[in-house]
Amino acid sequence: MPLAVAAFVFVLLPLGLSLAGSGYLFRLAVVTLIFAILALSMQLITGVAGLLSLGHAAIYGVGAYTAAILATRLGLDAALTIPLSGLVSGLVGIALALPTMRLVSIYFAVATLGLGEMIYVTLLNWVSFTKGPLGIGAIPPLRPLGIDLSGPLATYLFVAVITAFAAVVVHRCAHSYYGNALRAVREDDQCADAMGLNVVRLKIEVFAIACFLAGLAGALWAHTTGYVNPADFRFAESILILAMVVVGGLGSVPGAIIGAALLLLLPEALRAVGEVRILMVGAVMFLCILFLPKGLFGEVSALDLARRQFGAAWQPERGLGWR
Amino acid sequence: MFDRFDIFFVQQLVNGFSLGLVYALVAIGFTLIFGVLNVVNFAHGEVYMLGAYAGLLALLFLAPPWAALLLIALAAGIVAGVTLERVAFKPFRRFRDEASLKSKAMRESTLLSSLAVSIIVRESMEKTFGADMQPIPRAYANALQEPILFGELAVASGQLAILAAAVVMFIALQAILYRTRVGLSIRAVAANPLGAQYVGVNVDRTVIATFAIGSGMGAVAGILIGLYQGTIFPAMGFAPGVKAFVAMVMGGLNSIPGAVICAVVLGVSEAVATEFFSQGWADLVAYLFLVATLVFFPTGLLGAGRDRV
Repeated sequence: MPLAVAAFVFVLLPLGLSLAGSGYLFRLAVVTLIFAILALSMQLITGVAGLLSLGHAAIYGVGAYTAAILATRLGLDAALTIPLSGLVSGLVGIALALPTMRLVSIYFAVATLGLGEMIYVTLLNWVSFTKGPLGIGAIPPLRPLGIDLSGPLATYLFVAVITAFAAVVVHRCAHSYYGNALRAVREDDQCADAMGLNVVRLKIEVFAIACFLAGLAGALWAHTTGYVNPADFRFAESILILAMVVVGGLGSVPGAIIGAALLLLLPEALRAVGEVRILMVGAVMFLCILFLPKGLFGEVSALDLARRQFGAAWQPERGLGWR
Repeated sequence: MFDRFDIFFVQQLVNGFSLGLVYALVAIGFTLIFGVLNVVNFAHGEVYMLGAYAGLLALLFLAPPWAALLLIALAAGIVAGVTLERVAFKPFRRFRDEASLKSKAMRESTLLSSLAVSIIVRESMEKTFGADMQPIPRAYANALQEPILFGELAVASGQLAILAAAVVMFIALQAILYRTRVGLSIRAVAANPLGAQYVGVNVDRTVIATFAIGSGMGAVAGILIGLYQGTIFPAMGFAPGVKAFVAMVMGGLNSIPGAVICAVVLGVSEAVATEFFSQGWADLVAYLFLVATLVFFPTGLLGAGRDRV
């Protein structure tokens, strides 16, 4: 199963896209992969650890702006800007998490909404640093270590590799004892605390990991698009990412990817009908909550799949579980 | 007595006060619904927007007198609120036991469903009427912009109308809550939904009544503020909605007087902030207040205290 998915993403899909020979389809595939990273990172905090974040797009924006500024002002190589964007976003995530971690459920959601809008207002108004509403243009395409990856196929493969990295990170965090601890925090943080888990530390760690991944996605967005603008990192994008996670299934790692693909590709397929992207997002999200509260690929099925495919913990001869 | 700077500053304070009342008008309905259901109604800003559009359409086609205009907006708000409750909240109250009424899953699913409904409503309005601001008939816009002078201070008639509306709504709400049987059942459900059910309160009807009252007030606020500021467009509900939320959190979540006071404080602080910073940076004030309140005063500044689990 993992091999089949890898074969599809790395061989079949690029082969098909090359045969179709369309830059638009490649671009669509790259954007879908970037949003798959975002949905995966959101899944880790919202689905697995139960922290409803409404400011995820702002973290993604921090990553994109870090890459854009480092690449245009300092002329840094993409091999440096991408990890640095992840680090900066992760640090911003820790800085945001420290004061807000003792808030629960809706209060945390609203605090992240407020913090996200603060980041957006800063990006918009700090004109000397971020160029404000004009955005930063002319970001160099992907050329890490002097290797030219700016062609559509190479860019696609590079983004796919980073998406695979993000998927592995989220998979290892979610399907392990660590993930079980996070689920315990999600279900009842007071109980988890009483059982001896360091709840605040777990939450901050997982928030930092997710923000790091969101920062990577932001850097990829900046380099593949060549242009960043504050309007791309507003509340509406946070809702889009949240909708991907909800539609795919809260707590389910494959669900995040399915949700990202569905919510990006379905509106594109319906482009003939008119510009209905956001309306579709709302409608799909509402119908999903109403009729499929577990999502398209629910957490239970996802855990079942992970057990069957990677189930070290359930194969006694290989010892117990992942630490 | 006053030199020019002082009078300008006082003028700013007056403007901030009326801005705060705008937030207060939205916050009243928001807080009422939160107090009863303990869930955030993300679609309140859309009810506010629908009220403004209903009023505007009435203006264009019927040109009614002011009182009738407000009644039309009120009716539109009540219809929108009841529909919203049926569509986005009722389906998630299918279990009646205490655990699921208080459960995280129910709160989060209604949060997401109201968010989804608000997206659908806003986008459909954008598709129908366009995303731009609607032109407002000259006669009505001018009626709200007429300056009324108090010595050197100029107050627009619209600001006085908003003040009057805020006072009337606040008093009406207190009268409903503390003088009528509906108000009694609303307070009972807010205090303990299951207990209210045991003593014979029809919880379902009470929730609908709450939505009707809160949304009606939101819609009236929408048409008044939309006409006064000349800004009627599909996304008009977002900014006041967020500010109203901040006021509600600062006021201690289920205290309506607290929310009103904090909304005024918020409006005045924003107006003062525009004295020192540009308009764009002044938007930060509300979010700073929000985060600072959540972090340092988790029970709100004026709240009776409610645990946040």
